[in-house]
Amino acid sequence: MDSNRFDLIVVGAGLSGMTAAATGAARGLRVAQVFSGFGMFVFGAGSIGRQPLSAIETPDLRDEALTFFREFTRQAGCPFEGDIDGEARLPTVLGSFQSVSMAPSYVWSGIAGTPGLAAVVGIEGLSSFDADFVAERLNAEAGRLGLATAYTARRISLPHEAGVTPGTLHFANSFDRDPAFRAALLAALKPIAMTADLIIIPGLLGQRTGTDEIEQFRQELGTPICELPTLPPSVPGLRLFHALERRLRRDGVEFFSGFPVTSLLLADGHCDGVEIATPARPRRLSASSVILASGQFSGRLLGRQGSGFDDRLRPLDETGGAIGDNLYAAGAFLSAPGEHGGNQRAILTGYRAGMLAVGQEGRHATR
Amino acid sequence: MRHDDVSLDNCLKCSDCNTVCPMLAANPAYPGPKHLGPELERLRREGLPCDSDWLEYCLGCHRCDLACPNQVNVSELIAAAKARHSKTGIRKFRDFWFARPALLGRMLSIVPALTNVLLGAKVARFGMGKVMKITDKRRFPPYARPNLDLPKTTGGKAGKLVFFPGCAIRYNQPDLAAKVAQVLNRNGFDTEVRDAGCCGVPALANGDGVEARQRAAANVEELSRAVREGARIVTACPSCGHMLKAGMADLLSDDPALEGKARDVARNTYDLAELLMSRSDDGALDTAFARRDMKLAYHSPCHQLSQGIGRPWFHLLRQVPGIAIEDLDAGCCGMSGTFGFKEEKYPASMAVGQRLFDRVAETRPEMVVTECATCRMQIEHGTGVRAIHPVEILLEAYGQRGNGDRHG
Repeated sequence: MDSNRFDLIVVGAGLSGMTAAATGAARGLRVAQVFSGFGMFVFGAGSIGRQPLSAIETPDLRDEALTFFREFTRQAGCPFEGDIDGEARLPTVLGSFQSVSMAPSYVWSGIAGTPGLAAVVGIEGLSSFDADFVAERLNAEAGRLGLATAYTARRISLPHEAGVTPGTLHFANSFDRDPAFRAALLAALKPIAMTADLIIIPGLLGQRTGTDEIEQFRQELGTPICELPTLPPSVPGLRLFHALERRLRRDGVEFFSGFPVTSLLLADGHCDGVEIATPARPRRLSASSVILASGQFSGRLLGRQGSGFDDRLRPLDETGGAIGDNLYAAGAFLSAPGEHGGNQRAILTGYRAGMLAVGQEGRHATR
Repeated sequence: MRHDDVSLDNCLKCSDCNTVCPMLAANPAYPGPKHLGPELERLRREGLPCDSDWLEYCLGCHRCDLACPNQVNVSELIAAAKARHSKTGIRKFRDFWFARPALLGRMLSIVPALTNVLLGAKVARFGMGKVMKITDKRRFPPYARPNLDLPKTTGGKAGKLVFFPGCAIRYNQPDLAAKVAQVLNRNGFDTEVRDAGCCGVPALANGDGVEARQRAAANVEELSRAVREGARIVTACPSCGHMLKAGMADLLSDDPALEGKARDVARNTYDLAELLMSRSDDGALDTAFARRDMKLAYHSPCHQLSQGIGRPWFHLLRQVPGIAIEDLDAGCCGMSGTFGFKEEKYPASMAVGQRLFDRVAETRPEMVVTECATCRMQIEHGTGVRAIHPVEILLEAYGQRGNGDRHG
């Protein structure tokens, strides 16, 4: 094994980069994932909205990509529910409804429309979540949209360090580490659960939990529970990131976290790899294929050259030729500047780029 | 310290750093890297008083730096504030010594047998707890007479190395130096030790920036001379390696000549496993390993992660037939050098380590392997499972014993 030689290098670890890495690893490629930070995971929960497909998203690969993604997230312990052709409404912390087709199970449980009472639970001292405001707005919106769910605001108090303004991250860390905190949360929610058909809380059920633990919590509670992603850092999004990362590590993906890619090693229309800014001296990683999946940050790596993409997701230069025959793009980078591609595009193009890398001829690295 | 104003303005307050901070996860009252670093730095630069005892709780793990999507030097901002932070009384006195492990080591290793009896005695530990605010829950590592005279070798095909042992090897585990040299010699490197002292990480960690700079200035001449003579520098302690690669030049940035020398040293400094892995990549690693049937767990020290060299030990040990090794991937151990010895910080240190202890218990390895000496202390203290430097496994797989092996 050559420690700097890979079949595939994925730049970025958002939903598109993770899907691309998983696609390559599942087919036996030795994959390196190079990234800084958690991408869009800190801003949401990974919910997928329905969007019209563009040509590069290859509608004929759509079902295959989604089947793969469902299996990937299930194995990671964060299964998605819903149906890409369906449309459901999920409440948000702003008291609006977001239209989604698929979401992780702990978010999907909150879909609106079924008759019944949903309790929006605020927490004493938590400033970024106002249950009264959310419930009032949701009721107004539900009335306007003809949804049968009714919302009511409740408030609980949870143990936290004196003198500390708690945030959802604090509660999530406590949920991860402290059985007494879980017990206190359960005890506080139980009386509300007796009178409600659904509990809606700000996302805090642990950064490192798996769905099995959340399912166990739900069973002990006896009522469905739904988490809403809050202001960054969004705990449900972080949980999804950690779950996917753990899964990819098990599949042999090597992570290089915290060292930005400074340049692509381009020569004669081929990308030999990337250079990353490690301390003391840069490190060169080489690969048979490279996928750029770091959103608009990827643009910087192409410099002035970037002008569109071909039908195989390859960035093009000014003359319309592929910058590298083995250099692909995935996710938000494929969207126009300032426009976010959405998670459906992330998954479909992440999968497709991964498959293009799988098909790439080249010297294969040994695992 | 890099006074990189651009880096400060890069902070978008996304809180990615807070999500990975081991101290914040275990101790909710800790304000977290975003606040102690870039947020307060804006006020500090305005000259506003915002000193805080919480600065002492930063473990210097650099995980915040690695998580930042915008390359803010979060932990360096905290380290700089720590160096200006004022301490009083016993804590100040204690941390003076903790910042100087080489000075402490030189004194304690004059008569190591006496030192070890004294440090081991219950009454002495109790006394230290009361007088010096050092926890009586831990045992000090045994001290040994420094003996780093390595057998002279020449003609190695892989080149000349100067081994920077660091204080933990020099004063507590000198037998490890011989083992490092044996493994390197076997793989074509000629290795010698030069007179170099503490790397300066303990001084920085204890908020003593002046002492840290002095250590850097004291080491840079000898090390840069070695580099000019065509040698590369090798470390087997990740904190020393991190300092030589990523810290020394910044500490000397007030003197362009010294800074230039430090950058030369940095470019030519390698972690032991990094060198062995590069031999492996070239197909030149001696792989005449004897079968070793054992189940190991590997812990990545924070200062190994911060060097950006991947997981070379994990991959090297997997090449030994019979070894099953699992990467624990459970974050910081919480020891942070001398931090875990401080009486008032002991509970925080153990709380941070709990995630790792749980993972070790779940994995049930025969032994834990990790490069960092204080990670090993913490793992043994928190789990009761023996923890050793991975080079010992490699040497045993070569069928060799260390010269003067204490365990042998």
